[in-house]
Amino acid sequence: MDFPDADELQWLEANQEEEVEVQEEEAEVQEEEESPFGLKVRGERIYENEDELFESEEIPQSPEQQSQIQIRSSEKKRHRTRLEIDDDDECARVSVRVRVTAEHENDKYLSRYASEIDGDCVPITAPSGSGERVYAKLDKQFFSVANKFNMATKASDIGLISEPVCALLQKAEQDALLKALQASSDVQNTSISPETSIMTEELWVNKYAPKSFTELLSDEQTNREVLSWLKQWDAAVFGDDIRNTGDEVLSALRRHSSLPLHQRNLSASFLGKSRGPIYARAYMGNSSMLEQENNRPKCIDGSLNKMENGSGTLDQKILLLCGPPGLGKTTLGHVAAKHCGYHVMEINASDDRSSTTIEAKILDAVQMNSVMALSKPKCLVIDEIDGALGEGKGAVEVILKMVMAEKKSSGGSEASTKEEPYGRKLSNKGRKSVSLSRPVICICNDLYAPPLRPLRHVAKVHVFAQPTVNRVVSRLKYICNREGMKISSTALTTLAEYTECDIRSCLNTLQFLHKKKETLNLVALSSQVIGRKDITRSVFDVWKEVFQKRKPKQSRKCDFSPSKTPDTHDSLYVLVSNRNDYELIFDGIHENFLQLHYHDPVLQKTVQCLDALGVSDLLHQCVIRTHNMSLFAYHPFIIITIHQLLGRVETPSIGWPKSFQRYRSLLMEKIERVRSWQTKIPPCISRHLSVDSFIENTVSPLLHILSPANLRPVAAQLLSEKEKNDMAQLLSTMVSLSLTYINTKSESIANNLPRDGIINASSLNLDPPIQGFVNFKGYKPGHYELTSAVKQVLVYEVEKQKIVQESLARFMHSVDSSKQDMDDARDKEKGMTETFRVHQARCDSYKKQIIRNASQKDICQPHVHRDTSSLGFGSTSADAMKSKSTGDVKKPSIGSFNFFDRFKKLSRKGRYDVDSFEEKLTEAEKDGHHLLFKFNEGFTNAVKRPVRMREFLL
Amino acid sequence: MLWVDKYRPKSLDKVIIHEDTAQNLKKLVTEQDCPHLLFYGPSGSGKKALIVAVLREMFGPSAEKVKVENKGWKVDAGTRTIEIELTTLSSTHHVELNPSDAGFQDRYIVQEIIKEMARNRPIDTKGKRGFKVLVLNEVDKLSKEAQHSLRRTMEKYSSSCRLILCCNSSSKVTEAVRSRCLNVRINAPKNEEIVKVLEFIGKKESLQLPPGFTARVAAKSNRSLRRAILLFETCRVQQYPFTNSQVIPPMDWEEYVLEIASDIMKEQSPKRLFQVRGKLYELLVNCIPPEIILKRLLSELLKKLDAELKHEVSHWAAYYEHRMRLGQKAIFHLEAFVAKFMSIYKAFLIATFG
Repeated sequence: MDFPDADELQWLEANQEEEVEVQEEEAEVQEEEESPFGLKVRGERIYENEDELFESEEIPQSPEQQSQIQIRSSEKKRHRTRLEIDDDDECARVSVRVRVTAEHENDKYLSRYASEIDGDCVPITAPSGSGERVYAKLDKQFFSVANKFNMATKASDIGLISEPVCALLQKAEQDALLKALQASSDVQNTSISPETSIMTEELWVNKYAPKSFTELLSDEQTNREVLSWLKQWDAAVFGDDIRNTGDEVLSALRRHSSLPLHQRNLSASFLGKSRGPIYARAYMGNSSMLEQENNRPKCIDGSLNKMENGSGTLDQKILLLCGPPGLGKTTLGHVAAKHCGYHVMEINASDDRSSTTIEAKILDAVQMNSVMALSKPKCLVIDEIDGALGEGKGAVEVILKMVMAEKKSSGGSEASTKEEPYGRKLSNKGRKSVSLSRPVICICNDLYAPPLRPLRHVAKVHVFAQPTVNRVVSRLKYICNREGMKISSTALTTLAEYTECDIRSCLNTLQFLHKKKETLNLVALSSQVIGRKDITRSVFDVWKEVFQKRKPKQSRKCDFSPSKTPDTHDSLYVLVSNRNDYELIFDGIHENFLQLHYHDPVLQKTVQCLDALGVSDLLHQCVIRTHNMSLFAYHPFIIITIHQLLGRVETPSIGWPKSFQRYRSLLMEKIERVRSWQTKIPPCISRHLSVDSFIENTVSPLLHILSPANLRPVAAQLLSEKEKNDMAQLLSTMVSLSLTYINTKSESIANNLPRDGIINASSLNLDPPIQGFVNFKGYKPGHYELTSAVKQVLVYEVEKQKIVQESLARFMHSVDSSKQDMDDARDKEKGMTETFRVHQARCDSYKKQIIRNASQKDICQPHVHRDTSSLGFGSTSADAMKSKSTGDVKKPSIGSFNFFDRFKKLSRKGRYDVDSFEEKLTEAEKDGHHLLFKFNEGFTNAVKRPVRMREFLL
Repeated sequence: MLWVDKYRPKSLDKVIIHEDTAQNLKKLVTEQDCPHLLFYGPSGSGKKALIVAVLREMFGPSAEKVKVENKGWKVDAGTRTIEIELTTLSSTHHVELNPSDAGFQDRYIVQEIIKEMARNRPIDTKGKRGFKVLVLNEVDKLSKEAQHSLRRTMEKYSSSCRLILCCNSSSKVTEAVRSRCLNVRINAPKNEEIVKVLEFIGKKESLQLPPGFTARVAAKSNRSLRRAILLFETCRVQQYPFTNSQVIPPMDWEEYVLEIASDIMKEQSPKRLFQVRGKLYELLVNCIPPEIILKRLLSELLKKLDAELKHEVSHWAAYYEHRMRLGQKAIFHLEAFVAKFMSIYKAFLIATFG
């Protein structure tokens, strides 16, 4: 099997294989409007192609001798015909065509009634005339051949799919054609015995699906935008093939400079034609295809021109179409892609959509081009992308990844490679990364579905509007005519309104009625079997519907306006109960309703509305508590009440309800903060401190207590006696509540930015940030803010206190394990016990701190802090504590201890907490005189100087 | 250490306010026959302190040696397993927990965990008590279902376990539970009692108290002992030789509520309501319970209101508080109250001033 050369391929691609259909009708088309030249060329090509198809068919069929013979014979016949056509010019073919049609009229093989025909027959909807159905007799032999012919067509061009929609129609027509040809050349045919027909009917939806761009019913604006988006890919996808296009195309381009306008004219004219009486429709597919053929190169060149002008980069690589079902999103995607010369590859909810599969498919789409020379570039259509949450997400992720890769890899390279041949660039890109190099169209119903959120930002989003009722009705009417169904346009209008312009639903309804031999009854529309759509609208639509009163639109509806209100209630009820996300709906209403402009002098409406919201809350709570889901059914009525109260004619501006969610999460966070703080406080204090009482009664005074105004930021030993007492009191409070100040750098900026006063990069803040609990917007808390110097002193002192208490606790612990009856004694020395208990709890946290200090070592400047900590026996420890709390830092200590050793010991200690106390005692002995190395970040009130170990040991 | 913690009475003998109650409790405990107890009263009146003192009275000083445990529980609830994390505070003789922390799942805590705890008799019975004690805090926040499950547990395991329940309002505890307990009402201390406590602390801290100063603090304290002591300490920190003209700092959130109240009085319109909503959210976000906000807001509003309206406004406040308790989204009901107030007030203004 040899392939036609590249030129031909290009042509074939462009013509999308629909030419098979065309060949039958070209005679009439010629009469219509098109230039004969182009047609002739095309016709010849096709015949050649068919020839090849026949040849290719022969090979696999060889075992079946009989059929092969048949094929041969038919081939010969064909050849004869072809020769005739090839040899003659245009006029000859017309004559053939005329002969064929003539035979249509005269021949016995065609009849109105199946019973009049002998043998097998095929129902054909007559191409000429007003959609009448005739039955064509089938030659047994020929039928098989024709079938095979079709099969072969399909088999041989996998890349060039034949549209499934037109398959049956096409087949029937081809049968007729072949038969006619057969009849013209070979008159003597065997007659076949009569048989009854089995009538199979296609769904009208498929039968009348738009096959070309101009037939689309959807909003033209959207159509054009989709198309122009697709066109932007042309340069990247088709590459320099475009340059091969002829001069006439370039000249057409000039005509085409105002594409949208031009197109609108075109489509309008076609629409007009389609409404016209007789056969215009029959050649609709054909003529529009011609038009399409004209358009394509033009458009390509349009974008090529653009490329040359230097604005070739595609900013949004994905197209996201969204809208309610039945408006033709999928159809638009397919038709537009085909229109631009792509082979459509669809992935819908029925396919496996895990990320790996998707990725493979996309790679397929990108790379298959080079392998199959015959095929067209592919365009990926991902249908129902919002459907599957789990797997669909995978698809979204993959696509996003690819888009991102694209953005990264080809930053500004586009401009430089622009002058190169596009083909090379394309191949480069294909190899380099798995970035998107083919258009991807995503289709969804709900734009706001959660998995689509990331996609919304990168994709070009088109929201499908409903087609106008007129457009739908005219189309419906046309189809009804074709199917021979008598129906009034008012009935159709009502039907269209009823189904909210869902064409699919309309057509199905009509077909159903047609089958039942009924006509659409305007009065009994609701009682008739019309599937009411179960629409789930986006929640924004619901809110809009709630806040907006329908305009009293048609004058005829105004006649019975009293009955109008229940009607809107009905629709609202259906809308809301289909949406079924009541909590969100109510949140949205609550969030937005005060922004509306409704007339309410003494706020009665507001009160009523809030009452209604309150009722909804009670109901919701009741449902949750009792798990009585059937009560949910009463929610829509509350919404209807609110609608009745607040509905205005003007369009409301609606925002997504954020504040309640924000409130909830912040509340959780803060409660969690208090809780975690509570666990750090020793239980004897924290058990008395519930969250509520802390917030209600404690925070404000506590903040006052923690920030005394008269504290001087000087070293501890410089304070007066009274100040020392105050300081000690403050410190004991802070330690007992395990509060401290920490340096908050990035965190404070991230979290506390809205709070004023903490803007500067690094500042000392309370460690459990309890000051956050009195920070209300627009309110300045009354407590005094300590200066950072004072805070630093406090940090220092608190740390010291902790260390002292920790070591004390260790000592106490060892003593405690030996003597259980220390309790009473400890009761007497009150302060000691408290600190002891504080300590037990805090052992761990302190350890962690040391670890943290160690890890901070390299980033902060090490500051050697000399401290005395005697772990001797009771009396000495008490002394040491006193001396420390007065801040006697300079006291020389005896015995040194490496920081890291100490750290090691500590961690070990943590592990064997209940170690034998003898070991601990000896350790305590060893630790008796030790030196602390402590690293304080940013701590500066000490003099740095090199110190030798020896000096400490003195 | 805060004075609140420092001067909390450790035993029933040292209690200053609620002395009678303390003595009765002491008698109860020493007579070996201790029923289930339900302590109720407003916050800051000393319930917890009394409970701790009772425990100490029962088990001696070892009851004070408590440790905090954060334990996860797996509860088998029919088809699924629910995992609940619960913080308990326990000594060898008692366990203290807060079952309402589990929210909707509190039922399982009561049904499984508490039952489990109650069923196990203490192993070491050679001490004087043959039972252990479960302290349940915030019982009023338990759901009805949980409270219903509680009552059977209370009966069945009463031989080995005593429950001490603690809540703010007994009206939210079901009749059934209440009737199984000895109800101990801990009312908010009177101002004189608060003064007594403050003077006691003043003496201990050897402070010089100008006459009438403690009374002022007590008056500011809203009859909450905790708040009174904290305020007292705040005053001490801010300015020590006390003067009678000294400013006692207010609660920050109360100031904010005051702001809201004046906002409401200034203008009544949906727009203003929207602003008020923002401020209410601010309060709620900072963990201030909505009931308290409503109460405070009402009292602030009542101060500025014509006597004629006071009754009606109070009625509506009660109405919306009730709904708030039934419902879940406090903001709806708070806002509804504000709207209602605005409506009433505006109608009143129009009627009076034309």
